[in-house]
Amino acid sequence: MAVLYSKEKDGSLKELTRTEVVLNSLNPKWITKYTMTYYFETVQNLVFRVYDIDTQFHNQDVKMLKLEEQDFLGEASCTLAQIVTKSDRALIMDLVCGEQSSSQARAPKFGKLTVFAEESISSKTTVELKLRCSELESKDLFSKSDPFLVVSKTTESGMVVPICKTEVINNDHSPSWKPMILNIQQIGSKENPLIIECYDFNSNGKHSLIGKIQKSLLDLEKLHSARIGANLFIPTATGPKQENKVLKSQLFVESYSEKVQYTFLDYLASGYELNFMVAIDFTASNGNPRLPDSLHYIDPSGRPNAYQRAILDVGEVLQFYDTDKRFPAWGFGARPIDGPVSHCFNLNGSSTYCEVEGIQGIMMAYVSALHNVSLAGPTLFGPVITSAAHIASQSLTNNERKYFVLLIITDGVITDLQETKDALVQAADLPLSILIVGVGGADFKEMEILDADKGDRLESTTGRVAVRDIVQFVPLRDVQNGDVSVVQSLLAELPSQLLEYMRFRKIQPTS
Amino acid sequence: MKPSSSSSSSRLLEITVISGENLLDNRKQPVKKNAFVNIKAESSTCNGQTTKMDKEGGSFPMWNEKLIVALPMHARHLTMEVQCKASSGIKTVGIAKVPTSDFTGGFLPEDYLHFLSYRLRDGKGEKNGIINFSLRVKNAPPQSSQSAGCAAAYSRQWTTAPVGMRSSYNSSSGVVTGIPVYPGSLSGNITNLMVNKF
Repeated sequence: MAVLYSKEKDGSLKELTRTEVVLNSLNPKWITKYTMTYYFETVQNLVFRVYDIDTQFHNQDVKMLKLEEQDFLGEASCTLAQIVTKSDRALIMDLVCGEQSSSQARAPKFGKLTVFAEESISSKTTVELKLRCSELESKDLFSKSDPFLVVSKTTESGMVVPICKTEVINNDHSPSWKPMILNIQQIGSKENPLIIECYDFNSNGKHSLIGKIQKSLLDLEKLHSARIGANLFIPTATGPKQENKVLKSQLFVESYSEKVQYTFLDYLASGYELNFMVAIDFTASNGNPRLPDSLHYIDPSGRPNAYQRAILDVGEVLQFYDTDKRFPAWGFGARPIDGPVSHCFNLNGSSTYCEVEGIQGIMMAYVSALHNVSLAGPTLFGPVITSAAHIASQSLTNNERKYFVLLIITDGVITDLQETKDALVQAADLPLSILIVGVGGADFKEMEILDADKGDRLESTTGRVAVRDIVQFVPLRDVQNGDVSVVQSLLAELPSQLLEYMRFRKIQPTS
Repeated sequence: MKPSSSSSSSRLLEITVISGENLLDNRKQPVKKNAFVNIKAESSTCNGQTTKMDKEGGSFPMWNEKLIVALPMHARHLTMEVQCKASSGIKTVGIAKVPTSDFTGGFLPEDYLHFLSYRLRDGKGEKNGIINFSLRVKNAPPQSSQSAGCAAAYSRQWTTAPVGMRSSYNSSSGVVTGIPVYPGSLSGNITNLMVNKF
């Protein structure tokens, strides 16, 4: 019998499932499946333990078995990411027995364990819906309403989360919107109720509700096949008693289709990698690295500073998606000994190559660079973004299946906002995403501009506009508390950015 | 493809005009219907290409139409002109000038499918919507054997910003593309200002 555990952050093991007992076999094949959610942005550690169950316990329920009464045959551990990045989604591991540490050069053989993972089909399914309304009421005084729809889901805790929004159709009381695409996994299931609200667009941002309706995807599918409409209603009474007034207005489902789309894991399985790159801010505003109040201060106790924290948090997740684990690493805004200020120097000090080995390599190069350069300024992003874009272009020329992720860690305000925009607009057409982590207490207004999902698409000096948003920004203010969730939210969007790039170019995850 | 004299003096571009966004008529009303795109190679008027009209799309027209445009080698940009047909005649909504350097040169494969979006500007130079299209250079010259060099080889030990690199692309036209080198003057006397935030 095998037992699956997840290893929690504090190192404790939590039992997830037990397999069935395979009788009298030295090469057992278990069929028990366990369904768990894959989170790209966290390291999901798994531990597998294999036991020999004595004959006397064979007619007991596996859940009731006391593991300490059984013979322990060995254990194996891995991360979920290690399994899903294998092209056949199967990971083969050596079993080791408790006290033998992995440091022992020749551990006696305890057999091998193969773990297989597959993605459940519901997470790949998307629904395309085309909605229209009839006989909407006028909310504008002198003209017809300018309606648009917002689709929201209710979470288990009762919170209403908007997931999709249509375009605004001007002056129309029988509007028909462009198709919207919903992911079933995002919604939870086809039975989950969705709230569809129709608003009248107001340029001041105070959109007025025309009517709403609550339907699950299943209901919407039925509306479509029956070709009937459903009446919208509007909450009328204010106060404790919520009453709904049913309106004449109706919602129709013009088309409904389900489609299985390629997922992030499909691209990984077909050999795509995420390649991690890092760029570190060495401007003087960080403070003298020898003083404890500096953002670059290396604590002798070993506690990581803000920069080290960010590298570790992002790196520990991304390293599993990069097979050679050779990471380009740069610094910017510093003056090497006897040189002018450089806005993109190799962190390893080399004149010929920018790569370092592993996350540990980045950490070592970072510390040695601190000893070798004097902090200066100004803060320019253009050169490092251009260097990263260059590597991404080169990889395309070599026909490699790579998607690049540049992590920029900075403490301050950039001086080359327009140059940075120019570089980003060009880079948006490449297999590249940029994560910016802001450390320290500066005002990060510009970073919010670069992170285009809060505003307009970036525009270059020549009038070129970014085809997609490739920047994610997050301030890492409270490092002391090890605010990991901040970094996780930064990483969480990467899979969808990769998918956006692939779908744009109609690249399929075939070999 | 047979290397003819014409192919060396002009680039054949396969352009898929995808869509327009937020097109306004006279800077106020959204364009109602019948928007189309005129593609012209710099200055020359003869070899223009035109998409069909989008009768329904209004101010967010969708064309998804593939056109082949010959662009003279010396041309520095391509002009995309969005027009619309109304009862009063054909009006220009906005123009985008696309620098040739945005899809040639650089470190990308010559036949890379570029997805490009540009800001449109009306006759008075005011912003008026965005045009989205994809572009591929059809008759890409064969790549020269010396490739664009190792990706990493552009920084000297603890010295200055990236050293400009030669690109093998465009070697025929003698254009050398380099990564921007930030002038050393920027660093002048910076150390004295160390207390300031940059």
